[in-house]
Amino acid sequence: MVATVLRLRYRILGNMLARSVWQLVGFVFGIAGAAGALAVAVVGLALIGASGLDAVRGVMTIGGALLVVGWSIAPLVAGGVDTTVEAEQLAPFPLTTRQVMLALTVVGIAGVPGIATTLGVLSGFAAWGRWPVAVLAAVICLPLGVLGCVLASRTVASFSNRGRGRFGNGVALVAFALLVLTGPILTGLLGLVGGAGDDFAERIGAVVAGISWTPVGAVWAVPGDLAAGAYLSGSLKLLIALATLAALWLLWRRNVVAASVSPRRRIASGRAGRLSWFGIAPTGATAAGWARSLRYWLGDPRYLRNLVIVVLLPALFAFALGGHVEGPLFAFAVVLPALLLGLVPYADVAYDGSAFASVLATGITGRADRAGRLLGAASACVPVVLGVAIVTVALSGRWELLPAVLGTGLCALFAGLGICAISSAYIVIPVPASGDNIFKRVPGQTFTAGLALMGFTLLAGALTAPALGLAVAAAVAGSAALSWLSLVVGLLVGVAAAVAGVAIGGRVFDRTGPLLLARVHATAGY
Amino acid sequence: MSTASAVPALALAGLVKRFGGTVAVDGVDLVVPTGSFYGLVGPNGAGKTTTLSMATGLLRPDAGSAAVHGVDVWTDPVAAKRMVGNLADGVRLFDRLTGEQLITYTGLMFGLPREQVLERTADLLRLMDLGSSAGTPVADYSAGMTKKVALACALVHAPRLLVLDEPFESVDPVSAANIEDVLRSYTASGGTVIVSSHSMDLVQRMCDHVAILAAGRVLVAGTVDEVRAGSTLQERFLELVGGRTRSEGPTWLRQS
Repeated sequence: MVATVLRLRYRILGNMLARSVWQLVGFVFGIAGAAGALAVAVVGLALIGASGLDAVRGVMTIGGALLVVGWSIAPLVAGGVDTTVEAEQLAPFPLTTRQVMLALTVVGIAGVPGIATTLGVLSGFAAWGRWPVAVLAAVICLPLGVLGCVLASRTVASFSNRGRGRFGNGVALVAFALLVLTGPILTGLLGLVGGAGDDFAERIGAVVAGISWTPVGAVWAVPGDLAAGAYLSGSLKLLIALATLAALWLLWRRNVVAASVSPRRRIASGRAGRLSWFGIAPTGATAAGWARSLRYWLGDPRYLRNLVIVVLLPALFAFALGGHVEGPLFAFAVVLPALLLGLVPYADVAYDGSAFASVLATGITGRADRAGRLLGAASACVPVVLGVAIVTVALSGRWELLPAVLGTGLCALFAGLGICAISSAYIVIPVPASGDNIFKRVPGQTFTAGLALMGFTLLAGALTAPALGLAVAAAVAGSAALSWLSLVVGLLVGVAAAVAGVAIGGRVFDRTGPLLLARVHATAGY
Repeated sequence: MSTASAVPALALAGLVKRFGGTVAVDGVDLVVPTGSFYGLVGPNGAGKTTTLSMATGLLRPDAGSAAVHGVDVWTDPVAAKRMVGNLADGVRLFDRLTGEQLITYTGLMFGLPREQVLERTADLLRLMDLGSSAGTPVADYSAGMTKKVALACALVHAPRLLVLDEPFESVDPVSAANIEDVLRSYTASGGTVIVSSHSMDLVQRMCDHVAILAAGRVLVAGTVDEVRAGSTLQERFLELVGGRTRSEGPTWLRQS
């Protein structure tokens, strides 16, 4: 039975790769990446074995814990380590819950990430090689570690599947934010643990000891503890590891059982009267498009995620600067996020999915469609850019630069939106469907679309250059006049780019509308 | 029906569409008289949806032309689409909007005055029996409710021609009967309806004209009485399309 499910999984993979050359290329790159990481891990572990027991204990515990955390986060931010076969899909077959879970566990281990993880973990033997007791313990503990990785990812995935829709995506967004902020959070933790002590090695040691008692770290610490003669703590940690596995299995089991008896279903009831933006939009295709687009920017995680990034990126930037936010450099922290934000809808029609048919069926003119989308995006993005700009400038303490920062940021945003008004009349890329996990891996992201996006970024950057130049001059010279001039130039260029984008994109759209719908049907398949 | 001799509501001439090597629609000619209730039937893969997509300006034909009330769909799409209410099959809606928002949005897209949009939205929600879930996102609707809200969107701008692809699929019998009444009085007042359906009984009961499509071609078209020629539409359809097997099924499936 397990073998049949496993064959099914490889059959699906094979069919997917056979469908498109680019997917095959991506797959090969994925394998090459995994092999590279594996080689580094093996060599690194072998070398570390020579530098003493403490080093090996630290590396194995931290590395193993990161591995488990990675596997747990993957279903949230990467759309599942392996979603080709899911419990719901096996529900119609006469299999016991245990069989289903066994099959899914094996499928998880037998995928590319699973194989790479297994090989990488087995290379841990190279590190433990000098301590026979540790090798003996590793024979039990390393496989348990791999099992823990797979079970953790399956359990997390089963939760996110159950909470699909708004809740699931909320969890995913929080996980994503935490991932983006890993650096700042880790340094913060190190700072906390170390307290007043300046010795870096001591701090690390304390962190390792702490992690080795957690469910994610315990199993990896057992061989080291035994090798060091700490038999009691080693046995306790093994108990923690076994208890963790049991708890994961039971939690996952609960969700699998729930999924097999009650497939996802929602209750529909809700009174009329909440018209949202449609309540204030004047009639006409542009305003209707504006209201629809704004509703999606503020309600659809696929768009919302990008607004979150704009808020988080300056925090990362502050971290990179070591917390020294005073000065002109940090004052401009909003510019790059604004540039990226402007380019988010570069394939906006793809996000409509086949609902684009209902836009096309109204006989909307290209100009109205482009204008509606651009205004909707601007209504969502401008307040965010303004807010972030004011906060970053306030932190930097250089208030006289505020006009220049606003000019450059808004110019970058509108240059991007103008470019998107044209590009989205040409380009359709595969994106997650509305309501899907936003981090779902969508196969078939083409090389050319990526290349195009790079070109758009450069173009938007070039359009922003005049305002940025004036802004830099204002910062260097400390001139308020130049700062205001930067605002004027930035707004002029930005608005010009937006207007030109709507005009040109509108004409293109009038010609390509039906072609776009055909591409959406072909690429999205929903 | 007296205007049937004048400009037809929809005229398709020599429509062709190829997808790669396969020909989905292979020279379809069809004249839908104004005020008629026209049924379009055919087996799976006959090209019904493709034909209707080309007729409503959603899919550019490789050859041939489509005209709505004399306006060519592919030279003046804006004017043609204003006259058409379209319920496409197999496409999503903007399902993050609530039912009420979606109908309002569609009305605004067609540039109807605001008060009119609000009034018509309320009417349509009542007609489709969606009042209690008007404030629920369409994503949370059942298949039948989604179909009904899509139908409401097709009706909101009071089009002269309604193109409905599988309008009654998974719609409950009560709603279906109500919708049928509305469509009947719509055609009686001069509106034109084209429905594609797999339900022969429904087409025979509701439609006055019918065309049978198979393998991308029109096999026969005309009034329902002409087409069925004495027998039932179901029998005539099977006779024309073929492919009916009269076996008892594989032996292993029989329970005794």
